[in-house]
Amino acid sequence: MNLPNLSLADFLPLLPAIIMVVGASILLLSEVFLSTTASRAYQAVLTVVTAVAAGAMALTTMFEPPQEVMLGFGVLDPFSSFLTFVVCVGLTLATLSSVSFLRKRGAERGEFYALMLFASAGMSLLAMSNELITLFVNIEVLSLSTYALTSYLRRGTRPSEAGFKYFILGAFSSALLLYGAALLYGATGTTHLTAMAGPLSTAISSQPGLVYAGIILVIAGFAFKVAAVPFHMWTPDVYEGAPTPVTALMSAGVKAAAFAAMVRVFFMVGKGVDPQMLLGLFSVLAFLTMVAGNLLAIPQRNVKRMLAYSSIAHAGYLLVGVAALFVTGPGEQFRLLGASALTGGTPLDLARAEALRGILYYLLAYTFSAVGAFAIVSVLERREDEEKGTAWDLERFSGLAQRKPGWAFAMAAFMLSLGGIPPTIGFMSKLLIFQAAVDAGLIGLTIVGVLSSAVGIYYYLRVVVYMFMRPVPEGAQALEKSWSTELALVLSTAAVVILGIIPGPIMGWLEQASSIFGQ
Amino acid sequence: MNIELILFGAFALLTLLSAGTVIFARSPINSAMALVSTFFFMAGIYVLLWAHTVAVMQVLVYAGAIMVLFLFVIMLLNLGESPTRGKPTVARVAGGAATVGLFAVLAIILLKLPAEPATLSAEAQASFGTIATMGQVIFTKWLFPFEAVSLLLLVAMVGAVVVAKSRI
Repeated sequence: MNLPNLSLADFLPLLPAIIMVVGASILLLSEVFLSTTASRAYQAVLTVVTAVAAGAMALTTMFEPPQEVMLGFGVLDPFSSFLTFVVCVGLTLATLSSVSFLRKRGAERGEFYALMLFASAGMSLLAMSNELITLFVNIEVLSLSTYALTSYLRRGTRPSEAGFKYFILGAFSSALLLYGAALLYGATGTTHLTAMAGPLSTAISSQPGLVYAGIILVIAGFAFKVAAVPFHMWTPDVYEGAPTPVTALMSAGVKAAAFAAMVRVFFMVGKGVDPQMLLGLFSVLAFLTMVAGNLLAIPQRNVKRMLAYSSIAHAGYLLVGVAALFVTGPGEQFRLLGASALTGGTPLDLARAEALRGILYYLLAYTFSAVGAFAIVSVLERREDEEKGTAWDLERFSGLAQRKPGWAFAMAAFMLSLGGIPPTIGFMSKLLIFQAAVDAGLIGLTIVGVLSSAVGIYYYLRVVVYMFMRPVPEGAQALEKSWSTELALVLSTAAVVILGIIPGPIMGWLEQASSIFGQ
Repeated sequence: MNIELILFGAFALLTLLSAGTVIFARSPINSAMALVSTFFFMAGIYVLLWAHTVAVMQVLVYAGAIMVLFLFVIMLLNLGESPTRGKPTVARVAGGAATVGLFAVLAIILLKLPAEPATLSAEAQASFGTIATMGQVIFTKWLFPFEAVSLLLLVAMVGAVVVAKSRI
């Protein structure tokens, strides 16, 4: 029997996930000893400390060269480290905004924070999975945690409906993904992404049906998870029914991790098959998602639902970045607009690095803006209105600038950022994604992207108009303050504005982070 | 005719018979009990395929634990015998046609399979399907996915408890 050689260095990249699992276990074990009315203030603090520690741990591995760990089942590269960092940012902000939300509803329990930590650990592990079975198991870890979190508050019918819908459709999409992975295994004889490219290039000529079916099923499975049109149907209902802080974590973390896994899988698969096919598939998905997401968001008066559709639209912009990964050659008058800071390699490598950088920056930007926006939604909603369906109506934002100028300013910043208006982080991230797409020669897709984001500005600015130009409705109840939500708002507003004006520090990291294993 | 073929024939026939009983039995309890025996006979087929571990798991997990849960649910819901055979609706006819079609496709694939059974190397034959080999592979090479699965089970358990709580 020959034992494989696992050293301590193999486990080091898993540390962020291990920290989060340990934190979650402490929460679960300590919850047992608390009475129903005991103070649970320590739980949120512990969650935030754990998330910050895990994020810091991810930063320390950020500058390691890309390498395989855990016998090739995982990889440690700047891409996965940055993704873990983004997930930890989202987790921290979502936890801070959930404290007063849960306390108002008398639902503060250790399980809630533990499941948030488990979900984030799954996301972190998913970002580094380099083998299809590992990838599938980690997707399930994060999905199961979010299914449970979605129906955490079972008051009324909405949360159960949302949880059930999410569970059934999520299980369905996992099955599609698994079936696709099984077909790819059948065609190549390996589940390791690194080893797949070689056998794929021979299998594509001997068994094209198997390979194409496998690739399409895997794309469909991922498209469900990132909420890309036409696999987006579950998104509005689930986002609306879930507790708002959970929606925030779903829109930021789940999306980021699923995009990371998708990029990793197809980056490797793209080496074995004709990249033109992947380019075509992802372009179609990106086109449909951008256009449909923005158009469907326009008629929404329910801000939470509007943000759900907006998250679909943002998945579309990200898919443009993914499509830009599969260009085969630079265009004729190939002048890389955005690659001046990136050096080394052929123009094609640079174009890919640019696309990866765009995707990562976009995920960070979306995390700050969306989690912040959902935090505002969560402080304005009242649980009595949920059954009437008016808890998230635009009217609730009327005159917010007079009642709470700070909140109104923060929400305006998030809306401008989501709409892609300078000087916010959302503008910078859209700029990077579209720059990468233009450099990759995807001019048509870029034009569609810019036009559809111009459409999107309408529904983002409508919220701003309600906040600043409508009078305070009569009989509006006083808004409660809570230091933790305020902290989350201050942090995310600061990030949205400062990183929009001075993107330098993050860009410096990203030139590292855009190097993915196997590049 | 060797003993393996006779055993296979017996197990296959009994599996089919019990699977048929699962579908045609009127009482849910009888269906569930027939399902238990289906699992048992399928475990026999797994043994013939050199998959001892899978066979043991089949009996322990499916025929044991999961079927007990099935029976509990049937008894809790207090299901009686289904009264009538029901009319042939469009959905039923379509379902039946799809099933027949599926079996036709499977038959075509089976006929295309090579007649000679695959032969294992002597080295593989000694360890193939044994619990020792599986343990070695799981706890060494496949350590990362295995640990991820243990995390998955923990999450599933916590999630199930959270969802099943009557009120939080």
